[in-house]
Amino acid sequence: METIINCWNEIMGNEVVFYLLTTLVKLVIMFAVILAFVVISVWTERRVAGWIQDRPGPNRAGLPLFLLQRFGSKEKQPLKNWLHFFGIPETSWIAKLCTWLRLDREIPTMGLIQPCLDGGKLFLKQEQTPSYVRKLYFIIAPMLVLGPPLVAAAVVPFASHVDTSFGSIQMCVANLGIGPLWIFAISGLSVYGLTLAGWSSNSKFPFIGGLRATAQLISYEVSMGLAIIPLLMMFGSLNLQEIVQYQAENGWTLLPLWGEGLSLQRWAMMLPLAISFVVFVTCVFAEANRTPFDMAECETDLVGGYHTEYSSMKFASFFMGEYAAMVIGSAVVVTLFLGGWSVGFGADAYLAGICPWLAVLCQFIMFLVKLYAFIFFFVWVRWTLPRFRWDQVMKLGWLVFLEVAVANIFLAAAVLYFIK
Amino acid sequence: MTETIIFYVFAVLAVICAIGVVAFRNPVTSAMNMALCFGCTAAILFGMGAQFLGIVQIIVYAGAILVLFLFVVMMLDLKTEENSNFLANISGVAIAAVFAAMVTSVAMHLPGACLCCCKAEPAKQVQQGALGGELPKLCPAAAARQLDPQADVTKADSMPDIKLLGQCLYTKHTIAFAILSFALLAGSVGAVAISRKIRKD
Repeated sequence: METIINCWNEIMGNEVVFYLLTTLVKLVIMFAVILAFVVISVWTERRVAGWIQDRPGPNRAGLPLFLLQRFGSKEKQPLKNWLHFFGIPETSWIAKLCTWLRLDREIPTMGLIQPCLDGGKLFLKQEQTPSYVRKLYFIIAPMLVLGPPLVAAAVVPFASHVDTSFGSIQMCVANLGIGPLWIFAISGLSVYGLTLAGWSSNSKFPFIGGLRATAQLISYEVSMGLAIIPLLMMFGSLNLQEIVQYQAENGWTLLPLWGEGLSLQRWAMMLPLAISFVVFVTCVFAEANRTPFDMAECETDLVGGYHTEYSSMKFASFFMGEYAAMVIGSAVVVTLFLGGWSVGFGADAYLAGICPWLAVLCQFIMFLVKLYAFIFFFVWVRWTLPRFRWDQVMKLGWLVFLEVAVANIFLAAAVLYFIK
Repeated sequence: MTETIIFYVFAVLAVICAIGVVAFRNPVTSAMNMALCFGCTAAILFGMGAQFLGIVQIIVYAGAILVLFLFVVMMLDLKTEENSNFLANISGVAIAAVFAAMVTSVAMHLPGACLCCCKAEPAKQVQQGALGGELPKLCPAAAARQLDPQADVTKADSMPDIKLLGQCLYTKHTIAFAILSFALLAGSVGAVAISRKIRKD
C-alpha cells in the first residue's frame, strides 16, 4: 500500500505528468458535458416546443418495460411486482407518483430516450452522396461545423481552482489570457463548414444557404465583438477565469448585489451592460443560426439550406454542430453576464473555506444549472418569435446593432470616467 | 526547446500551404490553403507566447477576410485559372521579386539574423555568443522585458502582449495608427460611394 502511495506521489510530483493528467481529466469532463448537453438540449427543444404549442411533444420513447413480460414476468405491469416486492400498497402516494410518471409502462418517461433513438436512426440510415457533389469538400464540411464549437469550449471555466499538494488545478481546460477572443475566433471558423457545404453540394438551394450563412455570421461577429468591450473595460482582463472570479467576489455582471457591486459606479454601469447583454445575446442567436435567424436553412424558401444534400451521419454532424454552438453560446453568455460558475452572494468564499473540493462541486453544479436555464431560454425564443426576412436580418446587424454597440462603448467609458 | 520545435514544424507547414495557394488550380482549394497558412502562422505566434497576436491573426484573416475571399470566389464561380499572356507573367515576376527583396531586407535586419552578420561583423557575433548560421533561441519573454521592464512576464507561460501592444500602439506609434485608421475609413467611404445607386429623379 505504501509503495503504491509513494509511486503515486512520485508520478504526480512530476510537473509535466501532473499537468497532462489533470488536463486530460478536465478535457474528458468538458467533452462529456458538451455532448450530454447537446442531447439534453435536443430533448428540451422537442418538449418545450410541444409545451409552447399546446401538444404533448415526445412522450413515448422510453425503455419499454412491458417487454419484460415476454421474458417470464406473468404480471402485466412490472410496477405492481416491484410494489409487492417492497411491500408498498398500490393506493399509496408512491404508487400514484410512479403511475403519474408512467413508470408502470416504461422507464424513463417524458420521451427522454427520444434523442438517443434519433441518433441510432441517423446511424442506421443509408448514406447517400449525390454524384454531382465536390467529394472532398462535401466530406470535410460537416467536420468543420462540428469541430470548432468543441475546441472553443476549452477556455470556458466550469469551476474555481483547487490547490492540491502537487500544484494548483484551474478548472478550465486552457487558462488562456485571451478567453473571449479565443471563443470568437474558433467558433467563427465554423463559417467555413457552412460555406463549403453550400458550395460543394453543387446545387442552388444549398448554395444560397451557404452564402446567407457566411454573410450573416460575418455581420454579426462584428457587433458581437464590440458588444463585450464595455464588460472588458469593467473587468480589466481577458482571462475568463479571472472575469468569473471578479464576478464571484463583486457581484455578477447583471446582478451586482454584493462586494463592490453595491457601489454607485457598478449600478450606473448597469445601463451599458444591459445594452451589451441584449446585443450580445441576439448576436449569439444569429451566430448559432437558429430561429429567428435561421436564414441559412429556412425550409420555407431554401428546402433545407446548406445541408439539403446531406443524409445520415453527415447531416447529424451539422445538427450536432448547431446544438453544440448553441451550448457554447449559452456558456459564454453565462460566463460573461450571469456569473459563470459562481454560486453568488459570497457563498463561494464560504464554501471554499469549508472544503475546496465541495466548493468546486457546488460551482460545477451551479454552472450546469445556469447553462441549462439559458438553453431553455434559447429554445423558448425559438418557438416564440417568427423568422425574420433576409433583408431585415442584414439591416438589424449593420444598421442597428453595430451603431448601438459602438455608442455603448462611449457610454460605458463615460460612466467609468465620471462616476467613481 | 518546445517553442523551437513548434516554430520549425509550423513554419514548414506554413511554407507548404503557401506553395499550395499558388500551385493549386482550383481557386477554392487555394483559398483553403491560405486559411491553413494563416492557421500555421497563428500557431507559431501561440508557440512564442504571443497569444493575442495569434488569435487576432485567426479572427481577422482566417475568420473574416479570407471568408470574404471565398465568398467572392464562389459567387464568381471561377472554374480554372485563365491562361495568362507574356506581359502578365513578366509583371508578376517583377512584383514577386520586389516583395522578395523587401522581405529579405527586413529579415537581414532582425536581431537574430546571423547568416549575414557573421560575415560582416564577426566581432559582434562572438559577443552575442551565437553560432554561425543557427537561429538564436526564441525567447519572447526576454524581448518583452527589454521593451517594458515592469512587465510581469513570469506569471504565466505567455507574455502580456495585449498590454505591450496597447502601450506601443497608443504611445509610440499613435500618429501612424491614426493615419492608418483614416486610410481604412477612406476605403470604406469609397466602397459605399462606388456601390451607391444614384437615382435618376
